[in-house]
Amino acid sequence: MSVRSCLRGFAAALVLGLALVAQSRDQRTAGVGVRAYIEQIVLPGSELIAAPTSLKAPVAVRVLKVWPHGSLLRYDLEWTGLEAGEHDLAKFLARKDGSPTQDLPPVAVTVTTVLGKGMVEPSELKPQPAQRLHGYTALQIAAGVAWMVGLLAILLVGRRWQRRMGTPPPLPTLADRLRPLVKAVATGSADVGAKAELERLLVAFWRARLDLREARAVDAIVAIREHAEAGALLRQLEAWLHMPTPPAEADWQALLAPYRSVTAASFEPIAAKESR
Amino acid sequence: MTAPAASVTRFAETRVFLDQISTRVGKVVVGQDVVVERVLIALLTSGHLLLQGVPGLAKTLLVAAVSKTVDLAFARIQFTIDLLPSDIVGSEILDQKTHEFRTHKGPIFTNLLLADEINRAAPKVQSALLEAMQERRVTIGNQTYPLPAPFLVIATQNPVEQAGTFELPEAQLDRFMLLHRLGYLTKEQEMEVLRRNVQLGVRRDGKGAVARTEFDVLGEQTTGSSEQLVRAMEDVQKVHVSEAFLEHCVEIVNRTRKHRKLDLGCSPRAGISLVKASRARALIHGRDYVLPEDLFALAEDVILHRIRLTYEAVAEGHTSQQVLQEILSEVAR
Repeated sequence: MSVRSCLRGFAAALVLGLALVAQSRDQRTAGVGVRAYIEQIVLPGSELIAAPTSLKAPVAVRVLKVWPHGSLLRYDLEWTGLEAGEHDLAKFLARKDGSPTQDLPPVAVTVTTVLGKGMVEPSELKPQPAQRLHGYTALQIAAGVAWMVGLLAILLVGRRWQRRMGTPPPLPTLADRLRPLVKAVATGSADVGAKAELERLLVAFWRARLDLREARAVDAIVAIREHAEAGALLRQLEAWLHMPTPPAEADWQALLAPYRSVTAASFEPIAAKESR
Repeated sequence: MTAPAASVTRFAETRVFLDQISTRVGKVVVGQDVVVERVLIALLTSGHLLLQGVPGLAKTLLVAAVSKTVDLAFARIQFTIDLLPSDIVGSEILDQKTHEFRTHKGPIFTNLLLADEINRAAPKVQSALLEAMQERRVTIGNQTYPLPAPFLVIATQNPVEQAGTFELPEAQLDRFMLLHRLGYLTKEQEMEVLRRNVQLGVRRDGKGAVARTEFDVLGEQTTGSSEQLVRAMEDVQKVHVSEAFLEHCVEIVNRTRKHRKLDLGCSPRAGISLVKASRARALIHGRDYVLPEDLFALAEDVILHRIRLTYEAVAEGHTSQQVLQEILSEVAR
């Protein structure tokens, strides 16, 4: 290689170095949260790295690149201000080999803010404990046991309560409902409502007797009308209850005599009774 | 003649008139005695009737036969999706000669209106008709016109084809006094229909001829006059309703409101309709007083369209008919 070509290379390297120096950024002031760069800064001592930091640190620093600079080292630093004020980036750097950094010159930066003084800051976030991700089976077993205990308590307490209250009275049968109505109508102490209910119960009585419970209501009425005994009763009832001028004076006593002592057995179908 | 005797004679005359209508309609329509009875009930009580049945059950023929028999003005509207309220009630038309608006009255101005497939029309058309049914008058432009008397709407709907239909809501269904569900004919009745059809022959029309239909069988001569119908309507009002009968009606209506399988029970209008329809049925059957039999016979037609099952009852597979029979059985229990 000739001397001439060596000079040419040196000149090119010098131009490139000067160009890099001319392009390098030296941002010493930035707003809160805005990223800024200090490039090509020469710092003494062994290689530096970003010091371990905490969430409360006012500045965050990153070492982007490191070059040898004679016996020293040259750095590209990136920093982000998190609290307004004057800060020294050297405090946020540490030696890679762990040696102290007292010999470092201060790297002063200013973090500006657009917020006025005395601003009320948001409450500090409190870290929540992590969700419990284990013990599900145990929880299931505990829930099952609790459920069983609850069920047993309901059953046992319920039974005891039932025993104390006694069994509820059975619902009155059709016969139970029919007897007092027959008596009231026969003695003339029943109102229209009671007479209407008596008519409905007598129809129900004959529906049961003639095994017409499953038949449509209108078909059942027609069938009852056609039956010798039931038809005569129904027609008489209809005459007294629904005709504007009944053909004869109502003799409820005589008409209702067969129904004075009806029992639940009286409601059994006639055919079923005869077949026994 | 004494007053009660005159009353008995008049009742007898009315019964003959109603029998004649049934007989005449029966000559044209086979096996629909119950429907004829329901149409007569609607006619005598000025209640409206909704007939539900699949096509081909002679619904239109039946209504046409009744209107011709009693000498009533008859109109038929086929409800379609593009029908407008003005197509029913009428509209104001600008007369080009006089430059003034002239009122064109719609087909609703009749005595007997057949609203065919009412659920095919848009809700605003349905409500226009139902309003007229309720108020018995219509407003065209700024003028209000009363509808002719008697005025009766017999609507039909097909329960099968539901695509592109607008189901009548409960509030509007309530305005129909009766909803009768038509069923298929029995085998014998259907044989009779075919026998009659075979004998229809052709009708000469000028130089040509067309096959005769059942509509051609309807003669133009009427059986009764509208005056007789008015008298029959007055007679319905004289039918005696006992307190015990009213007790039965109220009991049934109340039970529909308390039944655990029913979401919606009957309105008081249902009770009124039960009594009105029962009076007309009693007259048709030659009685001057109502009986529980009338109530039970009409309960399905008066009540079923006014009740709605709960979601749980539908899920369990119950039907409105079953629930109503349960109620009627409980009433008679």
